[in-house]
Amino acid sequence: MDTKFIRNFSIIAHIDHGKSTLADRMLELTGTITARQAKDQFLDSMDLERERGITIKASAVTMDYDYNGQRYMLNLIDTPGHVDFHYEVSRALAACEGAILVVDATQGVQAQTVANAYLATETGCEIVGVINKVDLPAAQPELVAEEMDHVFGISKGQCFHISAKTGLGVKELLDGVCRLLPPPQDRTDEPTRALIFDSLSDEYRGVICYVRVFSGSLKIRQKIRFMGTDRTYQVTELGKFRADMTPVDDLGTGEVGYVIANIRNLGDVTVGDTITDDTHPADSPIKGYKRPMQMVFSDFYPGNQTDFPKLRAAFEKLTLNDASFSFAPQNSPALGFGFRCGFLGLLHMEIVQERLERESDVDVVQTAPTVSYEILLKDGSVKRIDSPSDLPDLSKVAELREPFVRLEVITPTDCIGGVMKLTEVRRCKLIKTDYLNPTRVIMEYKAPLAEIVYDFYDQIKGISHGYATMDYEFTGFEESDLVKIDILVNHTPVDALALIVHRSTAEARGRRLVIKLKKSIPRHQFEIPLQVAIGGKIIARESIKPFRKDVTAKLYGGDVTRKMKVLKKQKEGKKRMKSIGSVQIPQQAFMSILDTGE
Amino acid sequence: MTCRGTQRHTQPVGLYVHVPFCQAKCRYCGFYSEPIGPHDPQRLVLALLRELDLYRQVESIRTVYIGGGSPTVLPQDLLVDLVRMIAARYPRIEEFTVECNPSQTGHGLLGRLREAGVNRVSIGVQSFHPHELELLGRCHNVKQIGQAVGQAKAGGFDNVGIDLIFAIPGSTIESWRSCLESAIALEVQHVSAYSLSFEQGTPLDKSRQEGRLQVVNEEMDRDMYQLTIQTLQEAGFDHYEVSNFARPGFACQHNIGYWLNRPFIGIGPSAASYWKGRRTTNVADIARYITDIESGFDPVVEIVVPTGLDRLCETAVLNLRMRDGIDLERFAEETGCDAMDVFAEPIRLHQGLGLIGIDADRVRLTDEALPIADSVLCDFTDIESVRQDWTIQSVPN
Repeated sequence: MDTKFIRNFSIIAHIDHGKSTLADRMLELTGTITARQAKDQFLDSMDLERERGITIKASAVTMDYDYNGQRYMLNLIDTPGHVDFHYEVSRALAACEGAILVVDATQGVQAQTVANAYLATETGCEIVGVINKVDLPAAQPELVAEEMDHVFGISKGQCFHISAKTGLGVKELLDGVCRLLPPPQDRTDEPTRALIFDSLSDEYRGVICYVRVFSGSLKIRQKIRFMGTDRTYQVTELGKFRADMTPVDDLGTGEVGYVIANIRNLGDVTVGDTITDDTHPADSPIKGYKRPMQMVFSDFYPGNQTDFPKLRAAFEKLTLNDASFSFAPQNSPALGFGFRCGFLGLLHMEIVQERLERESDVDVVQTAPTVSYEILLKDGSVKRIDSPSDLPDLSKVAELREPFVRLEVITPTDCIGGVMKLTEVRRCKLIKTDYLNPTRVIMEYKAPLAEIVYDFYDQIKGISHGYATMDYEFTGFEESDLVKIDILVNHTPVDALALIVHRSTAEARGRRLVIKLKKSIPRHQFEIPLQVAIGGKIIARESIKPFRKDVTAKLYGGDVTRKMKVLKKQKEGKKRMKSIGSVQIPQQAFMSILDTGE
Repeated sequence: MTCRGTQRHTQPVGLYVHVPFCQAKCRYCGFYSEPIGPHDPQRLVLALLRELDLYRQVESIRTVYIGGGSPTVLPQDLLVDLVRMIAARYPRIEEFTVECNPSQTGHGLLGRLREAGVNRVSIGVQSFHPHELELLGRCHNVKQIGQAVGQAKAGGFDNVGIDLIFAIPGSTIESWRSCLESAIALEVQHVSAYSLSFEQGTPLDKSRQEGRLQVVNEEMDRDMYQLTIQTLQEAGFDHYEVSNFARPGFACQHNIGYWLNRPFIGIGPSAASYWKGRRTTNVADIARYITDIESGFDPVVEIVVPTGLDRLCETAVLNLRMRDGIDLERFAEETGCDAMDVFAEPIRLHQGLGLIGIDADRVRLTDEALPIADSVLCDFTDIESVRQDWTIQSVPN
């Protein structure tokens, strides 16, 4: 097909601003699916996505549309709504020439929308502005149009006013897509280069790669090479997503579709990789892809240690369709066997957690999230660590660096005070404040990721009665006054409880932790000191008083069986605990401490 | 129902008789008893004697303990008859105790019991403070305590024991000290002092759960316990078990039988027995007990057969409650195992913490361990690894 008549685009929208509904209307209008099929929001293929009202996996669908007497091929590439999936979003956007930016006429511009719009611009996408839900009584399209002009520079006249629900203005929007968005560049005669922007694993067909062909073409039975991994495969099936997966014989330049090539493991496919022809390979792969960066880490332990293999199986299954999630087994003397898991961000973590709950019946305890740190060693080398226990001897460390993000909070103006207070406590530095309109303000901060990974969003929501939204984007590692705090139980440091924190918060956080620990470690026959230390220096101390009285007053003949049972139970209670030196700590105690943060 | 005692027994055996009647239920009491009102005490006593018939050939009964409930609630003649029948049946009884309620010892009862063969009385004093007696729901007053002890002595008893309860809600170290002093002033031979426990389902426990009691905290409970030990020892009592104190030669032989894990026969509703290697419990229902016995059915409702390993553990736990602890020689003789070997691990652990002491032939809890004995004893409730060369003797009888 002539690339002039191909349009590849994404829809960018905040959760609930109507992205999926708009996609469904487009699919109907182009006759790709029927209204009945659209009922279940076609693009969302996983239960979870539908329930959360967001999409996790980029998906793509091909539509035919007649405009100005010409048949166009429209490829709609779906993107997740949250910038935690920065990587997924960037992959999807890189496969597009344009993006439709949807803003709810009753809600206005939200932080996530801003972040995704920036990303689209960075990726070189042309943006079409859309104000949705204009039919609602609470709609303020004029006000929202002003915001869009202000934030994105989309002039009022360029905005499409639609109602995805009723279909109002959607045809005009599709016309606009054909008219306003650029076509793919025609590189039909160049060697094959196709970008893998997503992949998933199918039980029967193996790995399915979502691709966008940038030059040359892909053909059935073609011998292909993955330029990143240097593996070769033979294409067994090519196709396009319409109402169903529709096989085709070739995918030409500019087209979007899927490739199946007998690939068994999802791990063999690196998203962002370039597929080329094995006999006539391209010189270089497609550029411009961001690698996924796991910034948030959390430990998952099975509630019951015997469930460890089950938990592993569950994680393996999860990685089948989530390439950006990682897990590595680890053993803590305190907590037993578990996995350290890496996530793109907080929402990603939540989704994995929910999927785990839904798709497996393993009881898990999850520790409070932490971030990745960068260390400059005195020998000049740079190292990344994900866990405080990986911190090398500090005498070898020249600099400790923590991840910073650009944080954007959009809030009603009357909540500015509360937001300022919270951000100050969380070491965030205000960069600029910008009024979207007289009642809403966008505040941009430079913030340490560690301060916002835990309980920050909830607090922002609380402060603003649910009206504020936030988003963040990783900007880099920077030197910071970080310290490692150790928790000593009866003078023995407990690995699992060590923390890397900013010096200014070390004492308060350490103290909170030992106070919690004090509540959850049962008393012993001796006093147990609980200490917080930085290096060798104790900065806080609590203690667990010993048992004072634990003896059955009466034990005569008739009580023996019952009493033995009671004592046995007492002993079993002891056995279930982990020994830290001579102190017995119930695993549940650790869990409760870690689970709820500090 | 077959005869349960056909063989000769040489090891001393205890006999416990449960009289499940009370004038009024004490608010803290978790034992089985009922108001005597609707029941026919004579029928019960006949049933007791009939159950006892099952053991008629057990010649080795050395100790008898009639407890309850309140045995002294029985009509005087009936109680005296019961004692006579038992005494007549087992001529080699060395210690014969009857539990007495201080309000029920008049009318010459104690003298008659002494004549009938009882040689020890245990008086349920509990407290010397009227408000505490009231809180516990006891039906006697302070004056009756002195009278009861006086009657016992006058009746010819030279072995009188009293029971006391400490850590009663609202009590203080001083109030408990005065109790101990009053107890010493009675010049009795034996004192049992129990820390109040809130038994599930009792009215006192309910009050506690409802937050209506000023419960003694653990620290003060411990102080009171230590005060008990110190005060009674200074007054010449031997501390011979967690809660028991006696003047030399007056330790309760019947109870020592329990702590040596020796067999015993229990008769009456809800009574427990450890006989022929089985721990059994009778039905806790007076009417059912009587009908069962009368119609020739076994009133046993629960049977537990401890394994050889169970027996090792039970013996160790029970022995360790005594200040004399585990007599290694006796333990080896009775179980076929060396306690130092079988319990090497908990002994080592707690010795390290200063909670267990070992001398030439004994393993015992240290003074330090006593207030927290359960946290030590629980480690003697199972055996991590059983060695092939241990030959654990089966339970005697």
